[in-house]
Amino acid sequence: MMNLLFDLRYYVLYPSFFNSVIYPGLIFTAILLLTTIWFERKAAARVQMRVGPYYASKRLGGFMQLIADAVKFVFSEVIIPEGVNPTLFALAPVLAVAMSFIPLSIIPVSVIPPSGSVFSIYFRDFYDPNIGMGVLTGLFVQYNMLLILAIESMYPVFVIFVAWVTNNRFAIVGAVRESYLSVSYDVLLIMATLSMSLEYHTLDLAKIAQSGIPGILANPVAAIVFFIAMLMGSARFPFEIAEAETELVLGAYTEYSGFLFVLTMAGSYVGNLVYALVFTDMFLWGWYPLSGFPGALLTGLKASIVVFFSVFLRAVYGRYRIDQALRGGWKYLLPLTFVSLFIGLVVGYIWIP
Amino acid sequence: MTDQAEELMKSGGMEIDVIPVSGELNVGPQHPGSGHLRIYVRLNGDIIEEAQVEPGYVHRAVEKLGENRNYIHLIPLVERPAILDSIHMNLGYIMAVEKILGVDVPDRAQYLRSFAAEISRIASHLYGMGILAIFIGHSTGFMWGFGDREVWVQILEALTGARITNSYVIPGGVRRDLTPTIVEMTRKAVTYMRRKIKDWENIFLNNPNVKARLQDVGIMTREQAIEWGAVGPNLRGSGVYYDVRKVEPYAAYSRLDFEIPVYKEGDGYARTLVRFEEIQQSLNILEQIIRDIPEGQILSDRFFKQIPPTRLKKWWEGQRRVVMPGYYASFRPPKGEAVTRVEAGRGELLYYVVSDGSAKPYRLRMITPSYRSIYVMQNLLKGVRYADLVSIYGSLDYFPPEADR
Amino acid sequence: MQKPIDVLSQALQSKKIPVKVESEGRASIEVEKKDLVQVAKVLKDLGFDHVKAVTGIDYPDQGRIQVVYHVSSYSDVNLAKVIVALKTWTNYKELEVPSLMEVWKSAWTGERETYEMLGVKFSGNPDMKRLFLPEDFEGVYPLRKSYKIKTEGLFVDRPS
Repeated sequence: MMNLLFDLRYYVLYPSFFNSVIYPGLIFTAILLLTTIWFERKAAARVQMRVGPYYASKRLGGFMQLIADAVKFVFSEVIIPEGVNPTLFALAPVLAVAMSFIPLSIIPVSVIPPSGSVFSIYFRDFYDPNIGMGVLTGLFVQYNMLLILAIESMYPVFVIFVAWVTNNRFAIVGAVRESYLSVSYDVLLIMATLSMSLEYHTLDLAKIAQSGIPGILANPVAAIVFFIAMLMGSARFPFEIAEAETELVLGAYTEYSGFLFVLTMAGSYVGNLVYALVFTDMFLWGWYPLSGFPGALLTGLKASIVVFFSVFLRAVYGRYRIDQALRGGWKYLLPLTFVSLFIGLVVGYIWIP
Repeated sequence: MTDQAEELMKSGGMEIDVIPVSGELNVGPQHPGSGHLRIYVRLNGDIIEEAQVEPGYVHRAVEKLGENRNYIHLIPLVERPAILDSIHMNLGYIMAVEKILGVDVPDRAQYLRSFAAEISRIASHLYGMGILAIFIGHSTGFMWGFGDREVWVQILEALTGARITNSYVIPGGVRRDLTPTIVEMTRKAVTYMRRKIKDWENIFLNNPNVKARLQDVGIMTREQAIEWGAVGPNLRGSGVYYDVRKVEPYAAYSRLDFEIPVYKEGDGYARTLVRFEEIQQSLNILEQIIRDIPEGQILSDRFFKQIPPTRLKKWWEGQRRVVMPGYYASFRPPKGEAVTRVEAGRGELLYYVVSDGSAKPYRLRMITPSYRSIYVMQNLLKGVRYADLVSIYGSLDYFPPEADR
Repeated sequence: MQKPIDVLSQALQSKKIPVKVESEGRASIEVEKKDLVQVAKVLKDLGFDHVKAVTGIDYPDQGRIQVVYHVSSYSDVNLAKVIVALKTWTNYKELEVPSLMEVWKSAWTGERETYEMLGVKFSGNPDMKRLFLPEDFEGVYPLRKSYKIKTEGLFVDRPS
């Protein structure tokens, strides 16, 4: 009996399962997603002289409203427009969401000390030679910075796929905008990441976080660029351009209803969380100086704050026009990334071992 | 630039074909950014090549119904086109009727008309601002516009008994008198609004994002504004000094001190600034009115005398209201016609009433400000980016029900 | 200083255009259809730069429709105080009036509406098609007096 329990614990806590399903994977993300949307609505309501979600569970400040909404969406009819391929129509948002979830299992959320942590038994399996410790991540790769960005940059492809499948003009216009934007923000993300990797002489997020030097101090320019690119990449205000309700109805997701609509909405929030986790590891110390499970919690907390901040911008900004966003990206932020690259080279040479 | 690139490519042994991407979009009537309006848009890439504004989805045939109802029954009807600015709709019509009847309006009633009209103007501008804000994605401006409007709507409710569609102005005067409570409410509201305008400036007017979306967007030069017959804040945002309150003062405006904000830029931002400064001017006007309002009757003697003494005692002496004298039921004005104009919230409102001596108007022509913005909008939308469609629409403060009538 | 309305009436009378001054801010000119554009051009030269309203009024007993253009000025502050009604008549037999679009672009909306509501054609206006009415609207020209409003309901028993 004890053996069985021990086995169970072993498998549940095994990082490949734990990270991709429990934390920060599916379950944590789902809860954070609801909390984020709740916070978004509540905080915006505070600014806008409103109450926000309230009546569903008054004591929790209307937190259950989101669950009620989700239940309502699950039971509402999924309308499949005439003239589309129903299989692809249903599959497209599922693929998009799946794609946005994958990076969560590669992002290191904490380190595993050789002993003293619940994860210490996996020390050897997830050993990172760069820092001499285990890394709490679903799949440890030494080049995880590259891999995460590579997978996340696939997401817009699926958004375009969604639009293409629905065969709606507003969706097509939205997809065109998304493709323009994705090209511009991906470059910024990669350049910011590159400057950090030059600075810390590594492509391993764990090493950056474990180095003890917060990236936001070592290279603030890269942090700014990364944050703005993150807002663009996850369609947050003021870059909610591809969805632009008053112009494009809902952009690529115009034709979706019911549960498929929830999935399309979830995609961008998950993307936001992924970028926020990378941002935390890269610029905000990640789990340092904690380790093991508390370290993972610290990373999650920081990432949540980043996500909350980025959704709060809804209450402050409207949305830019697509050409303004692109001009901002290519004309002002791209040169800024060269500056950050330079800072990365110099500071990395002088300061960081 | 493209030609150069093409040349370069050719000399390098490559060729590119530039294929124009064009298509049509039906913006509305089932569209979050269109309201009750269809805009047929032909796009070339992101540029609108041609836009056709197609109103009529909320047409209520006010002009036809106007020929089939008694003059007094028309008051609620003419308010319907712009229920958010109903005082002005009402006022213009009553002024036309009074002109045909030849009625003089007592001073106090004139002041009260201006009072209600300015409150209506503030509420209307705030509404327009809210719509503009949500059009460019600024949800806080939207909520604030509607939230701050509530203050003024409540004053109107206290004054007239209804939040919207007030039917406050009647031939020869107004229905209800000002009470100390309303004066106190107005003082509070003016202070509140002045404070709130500072917040508005911080989060909306000086917001770089809002500036980017409005500045140099939908530029209408002075000549274009005159040629297309723009009205109200849109006209003044293009540098034309024209406000009916100054040009042809009605109600108490000849005795009130206020300025007309004019901006030369002619873009969406100038139009927005005009609206903001008009709100500030309206606040000044309201202060003057509650300070200077003369004592006296609120209904012309000619009608006041017809109210039976018992009812007069109960309503006028008791609650400072007038009840409708019997004359109103189906009066027959003399033959004639009248053209009146008032400066409604969104611009100049023109009434042309032709009377043939019967109890119903022979012809009632109602030209609302938004009606005249149709042509302006159609012209402004040519050659702009698709995303600017909503920005221009919002900055013109086009209100489909008002245009359709 | 001379009143703007007097200046206007003198200027028009010198051009032999009959003008009826109604009040300080209102005047009307009644012209033949063929002279409409010409008179409009005179008014435009005087400084009247926009059309406020185009109104059609149906007189079935006379078998004709009156078309009224209300014009005024934006650019001239004094002239802005005056609204001139430019009136013309058109017979049921040939419901066609020259469009004033070439003089004042702002006549566009009003002319289109008058066309769809009363059936007066404005020759020269490029958009002689429906504006407010739906494409499948039955019973043409709703603002003619011959068009009766259909009322329905339990208590409607006599024709309106």
